[in-house]
Amino acid sequence: MFLAFREMSRAKVRFGLLTVALGMLVFLILFQTSLQNGLLTSFVGAIRNQTAPVLVYSVDGQRVIQGSIITPDLEQLVEEADGVGEVGRIGQGTFSATNADGELTDVTVLGYEVQDLGAPAELVEGRYPESAGEAIGSSNDADAGFGLGETIVVQPGGYEITIVGLADDVQLNAGATLFVTYGDYVDAVKSVNPDAGDPLPNVLGVAPADGVGPEEVVTSVNGQSTDLDALTRSDAADETPGVAQVRQSFQVIFLLYGLVIPCVTGLFFLIITFQKSGALTLLRAIGAPAKRLVSSLLLQAVIIVAAGYAIGLALYTPLSQRRLGGIQLRFETTAVVVWAVLLLVLGIGSSLISARRVLKIDPIEATTGGANR
Amino acid sequence: MKLALRELVRKPGRFVTATVILTLIAVLLMFLGGLLDGLLRLSTGAIRAQSADAIVYSESSQSSFLRSRIEADDRAAIEAADGVDEVGGLGVVLLGARVPGNGPRDLANVAVWGYELPPTGVPEPPAPGEAYADELLQADGVEVGQELLIGPARTPITVVGWVTDTAYNGSGGLWADLDTWREALAQNRPDAVLADDVVQALVISGPGDPAEVVAAADAANEGTYALTVDDAISAIPGVDEQSGTFNQILGVTVVIALVVIALFFALLTVERTALYGVLKAIGARSRTIFGGLVVQAAAVTLIASAIAGVLVVVLDLLIPPGSIPLYVSVGRIVLSVVLLLIAAVIGSAFSLRRVLRVDPASALGN
Repeated sequence: MFLAFREMSRAKVRFGLLTVALGMLVFLILFQTSLQNGLLTSFVGAIRNQTAPVLVYSVDGQRVIQGSIITPDLEQLVEEADGVGEVGRIGQGTFSATNADGELTDVTVLGYEVQDLGAPAELVEGRYPESAGEAIGSSNDADAGFGLGETIVVQPGGYEITIVGLADDVQLNAGATLFVTYGDYVDAVKSVNPDAGDPLPNVLGVAPADGVGPEEVVTSVNGQSTDLDALTRSDAADETPGVAQVRQSFQVIFLLYGLVIPCVTGLFFLIITFQKSGALTLLRAIGAPAKRLVSSLLLQAVIIVAAGYAIGLALYTPLSQRRLGGIQLRFETTAVVVWAVLLLVLGIGSSLISARRVLKIDPIEATTGGANR
Repeated sequence: MKLALRELVRKPGRFVTATVILTLIAVLLMFLGGLLDGLLRLSTGAIRAQSADAIVYSESSQSSFLRSRIEADDRAAIEAADGVDEVGGLGVVLLGARVPGNGPRDLANVAVWGYELPPTGVPEPPAPGEAYADELLQADGVEVGQELLIGPARTPITVVGWVTDTAYNGSGGLWADLDTWREALAQNRPDAVLADDVVQALVISGPGDPAEVVAAADAANEGTYALTVDDAISAIPGVDEQSGTFNQILGVTVVIALVVIALFFALLTVERTALYGVLKAIGARSRTIFGGLVVQAAAVTLIASAIAGVLVVVLDLLIPPGSIPLYVSVGRIVLSVVLLLIAAVIGSAFSLRRVLRVDPASALGN
């Protein structure tokens, strides 16, 4: 063990470069994990964390709330479907609005008709809207002029909405999001476009009848018309266009970064072992057991991976609390633990090739000079 | 230089692992860059294609076409402005299109554009009820001559030709005249209906440069503002954030490549210290030895980049259309190679100090 530490202290540049490389790789992996999760949460959090167990889109909407329109005929078909308990309208629009700081910004407004069919499932502060002009905001936007008690003015038209409650992770389309009653949503639409007719609901929130499961309702509603597209809450979030692509893209990126780490570590220890093969042979010849030399090598691998991970974590931690545009990043504890274990296993695994080389050293070569050949 | 290249040829095994690692990093760089290009292409194509100097939005639109309303009075004021020659109305609506032969739930995402001044690569507006389709829609089975049924109202639009790179918000463009767009909007989006003389935006051109045209339009009317096409692209939500984040990730990846190259050549230099001593003893200069290292680093990087380029092209061919928005271009590959070469040169420079410190006397065994 003494040898392992001494060698590292004498070759600071080499071991330092490896540690820095691993640290930056770890930083990128963890940062991109936060980015992926933050992106998805800000993209579809409002769908995942609302109350309706089933959402019904029109097929034309392609599973985008704002793109979907439920005509009166389709609405009637949903109400008549077997297993349907309660149905509530949901409307969504993106507006320009002046926030509490006086800045003109984008805001997504979601209007729900029934609190149990489209409102945020849980509030962290305040209360649900009780009268016209009240809204629930996302706690992620509270510092961006959308805090509790603050009033937002929809432009043009000047329709005022006051935030009376806050919920966690209820953003849509990676921007400020407000949940209002359906009537408020309609009024907001009409205030900005005097040419507009009565807006139709974008989607319907559906609660299954007693004893009926969400999956059964989905099948029943979809059987009513090929123009209807019913999805359970989690499917609606996962199948929003872009979600699968984001996941697939990040998986490829993680795979590539994950491959680079064992390659770099393995290459480093292989070259180091090769370079000091003469010294290792001599050590074996004077009685050092192979086990001790291998332990020394593996200890170095563990130290390097751990130090690299610590550097990566130190870079990642302050960044993980930041907001990136409309995306709130978070410290991903699970990812930190999983990647730590994975990278330690990969790092040690890759250095086992060098360990094999150490074990193959024949002490007799110290007398023939074979080790240096 | 010759010695360095000869070593590469005679002992390629010594450089294989470093090449593999650099190949992985180069694939990462090209893949990430291709992903950024693909995302930007899908969301900005229709704006990039605009041949006008600037785009005019209504005051509170936040540069969103869907929220912008240009009234007839606004248009008249801008048309009368000194420094503005050409004015054309523009509007868009995002809808699903039923494609003949596809299943009843298998719709294509389309952005129906109404235009007066043709963007680059788009012909003059077609007859009412007709549109030029973006080639992106070929992946959805769209063919020239087909009648697409747009939105829940099934508004019919016939495809009369193809245009390239005009996607918007991830949807393939359908370029029609203003009346066809307005009809599709009114029939399918009652909440977004616009009166006959209202458009969402104006595209404008003038005799001066784009900044002068913007200034002229802004001075002519109070309820609107103009942006150059480049600024309009940046104003699309998420574009700047996406570019900034991806470019930072790409930057760190280049630094990782630099550190890996530095590490590898530092190890190689340690291994060759005795050899360099001999070379110096017989008259080789430090500059020559270091030059050899740089040449080797550049050669390894070029080989890795070439392999990575091929792999990324193959990956692009394997990825089914509509899944990962990867766009592989020669420009992106060349840029990645240049960045890696710079990293290689800087990375190999880490060994310079060690090369300079090699004492020719070490060749004598001291």
